Amino acid sequence: MTISGARWTALGLFCAAAAALWQATKLSRWGFDGPGPGLYPQVIATICMALALLVLALDKGDPAPVATDDDEAVARYDMAGPQERRTFHLYLLALAVLVAGSWFAGFIVTSLAVTIISMRFAEGVSWRATLITAAVIALSGVILFGWLLQVSLPEGPADLAFRALLRHGGLL
Amino acid sequence: MEGLLGGFATVFQPATLMYCFIGVFLGTVVGILPGLGPLTTIALLLPITYKMDVTSAIIMLSGIYYGVAYGGTITSVLMRIPGEASSVVTCLDGYEMARKGRAGAALGIAAIGSFVAGTIGVVAVSYLSPPLSRWVLAFGPAEYAMVMLAGLSLVTYFSSGSRLKALLMAGFGLLLGTVGSDPLAATPRLTFGVFHLTGGIDLAPLAIGLFGISEVLSMVLRKKEKMQVLAPPSSLLGFMPNREEARRSVGPVARGTVLGFIVGLIPGGGAVLATFLSYAVEKKLSKHPEQFGKGAVEGLAGPESANNSGTAGAFVPLLCMGVPANAITALLLGAFMIHGVAPGPTIMERQPELFWGVIASMYVGNVMLLILNLPLVGLFVKILDVPRAWLAPIILTVCLIGVYSTNSAAMDVLLAVMFGVIGYILRRYGYDLGIVILAYVLGVIFERSVRQALAISDGDLGIFVSSPLTITFAVITAVLVGLAFVPRKRAPGPADAAIAAAEVSQVK
Repeated sequence: MTISGARWTALGLFCAAAAALWQATKLSRWGFDGPGPGLYPQVIATICMALALLVLALDKGDPAPVATDDDEAVARYDMAGPQERRTFHLYLLALAVLVAGSWFAGFIVTSLAVTIISMRFAEGVSWRATLITAAVIALSGVILFGWLLQVSLPEGPADLAFRALLRHGGLL
Repeated sequence: MEGLLGGFATVFQPATLMYCFIGVFLGTVVGILPGLGPLTTIALLLPITYKMDVTSAIIMLSGIYYGVAYGGTITSVLMRIPGEASSVVTCLDGYEMARKGRAGAALGIAAIGSFVAGTIGVVAVSYLSPPLSRWVLAFGPAEYAMVMLAGLSLVTYFSSGSRLKALLMAGFGLLLGTVGSDPLAATPRLTFGVFHLTGGIDLAPLAIGLFGISEVLSMVLRKKEKMQVLAPPSSLLGFMPNREEARRSVGPVARGTVLGFIVGLIPGGGAVLATFLSYAVEKKLSKHPEQFGKGAVEGLAGPESANNSGTAGAFVPLLCMGVPANAITALLLGAFMIHGVAPGPTIMERQPELFWGVIASMYVGNVMLLILNLPLVGLFVKILDVPRAWLAPIILTVCLIGVYSTNSAAMDVLLAVMFGVIGYILRRYGYDLGIVILAYVLGVIFERSVRQALAISDGDLGIFVSSPLTITFAVITAVLVGLAFVPRKRAPGPADAAIAAAEVSQVK
């Protein structure tokens, strides 16, 4: 017997709720001044487990796409063509780079890498257009958000060098 | 009246006026772009408002919310593509009018109807809010808890997919809200030993992950198609309806305004339900119901008005009770809380400039939208030419900026990506993610109310059914939760499919 994706999802939610309940049971349900920190999460996690079990039992499996619902049909991974799947995988790679880059590489390198992966490799845009767009996005981010709006951005060697350049030019 | 005049004084400050304009402009753009909804946009911009003055931040985010209703109309009329879910009904008759060469009249009726309804809606908000706030002031923790529970149940009841799944998402939203330090005892909860989670899961990584990143993943699996756009009129006169069209619009606009506002007040009701109800009412009242779906003016004017007054109505429970009516107002509530402001019955006394500033900005914003939408429709349609290849890296970069800037922590970026992938899977299997955000935002206030009530009653659950008000809300909750276990009998019609299509691209 195979388990449908819908049931795997419900099972995943059940496991997540069970893990939350396991964590919550370590906390007290009642203290000298009223309800303890564990009461509320224990009740909610138990309800979530029960609901997930019901969804697991009642969900009939993956529904067939509705004829008029084209958007939904193509947004489904299992119904997408090889090209769309390849694009999807490259976007997942871009997301992995987004996480790793924000940890180690800083904003400029990360945004350049994410734009190159998504535009050049996933969408097949020319190198020239990709590099120009990547540079515009990275610079707009640094100047508009980092400099003008004073938003905190991940910092790496390229960001520090750019800031030094601005300082050298008397702009900072 | 004095408060409202003070609000106008706040809005007419140049910086605030600029943020109001940015909000309504972005709202219109977002309404036009299929794939980017108000939820995604507000989620993306939320962290960027951290350093802004609270009044300007809320005015800008609110502008996005009510501006979307205008923008969505343009693609519905000219392309038969709802830019957002509340414009689905507009596709039916608006597009047919456009096909018959009345695109300008359709856009004109929609814009004028939206302006009238939006403005009347705001007037109603200004007059209803003070007495409602005074009434809510008398609520104890048990009443508050039951109001929120009934509100959440209503939202799950009106969810377009499986109600059981909607209930499950509400549960998970509440559960996610408990991660981090206990609000009363400061004990770490559900952190699984991860130090970063001691501070809780922030709204930004959760909302940006569930809506921004999951939307990008969903977008890339769709085929790239060139969209067909009917030509809008080239002059302002082309937007004017003829005498007959104007006469037939008056009644639907008036009815749509009242109906939309009332539905907007109900948690879970919102603009989408308001438009469908208005369409049904107009069809029922019409002497020519056979014209509906073939370009009936009433089928366009009523829902468009209901859409905008419904958006205004949703502000009443948010501002007066601190209870959001839908996921978007939940994000606005999150924005209030991030800035250290608790919307609710006391906001009018404690921060009148904020309360009345937001209300006044809605009057001003509606005028801006009317001015923006008619002459610039041709320009807005050009936005649809932006290909996905350019849109996706911009969204991902804004996601990175929005998430990282919350706490200057790369861990938040990891959380957002995780929520993005989980969100994509959940959407794929028919789970409504808007409910997760609503429950997450409500969770903190709900838990505090529940625990305070239980502490007062020394653990006696009877406190939740101890007054006529709590009993009423308990009955509403019980009935709605009970109905979640009853399978829907009605077969899905074309409207359901259209809503589903819009929701897949928009996640309302």
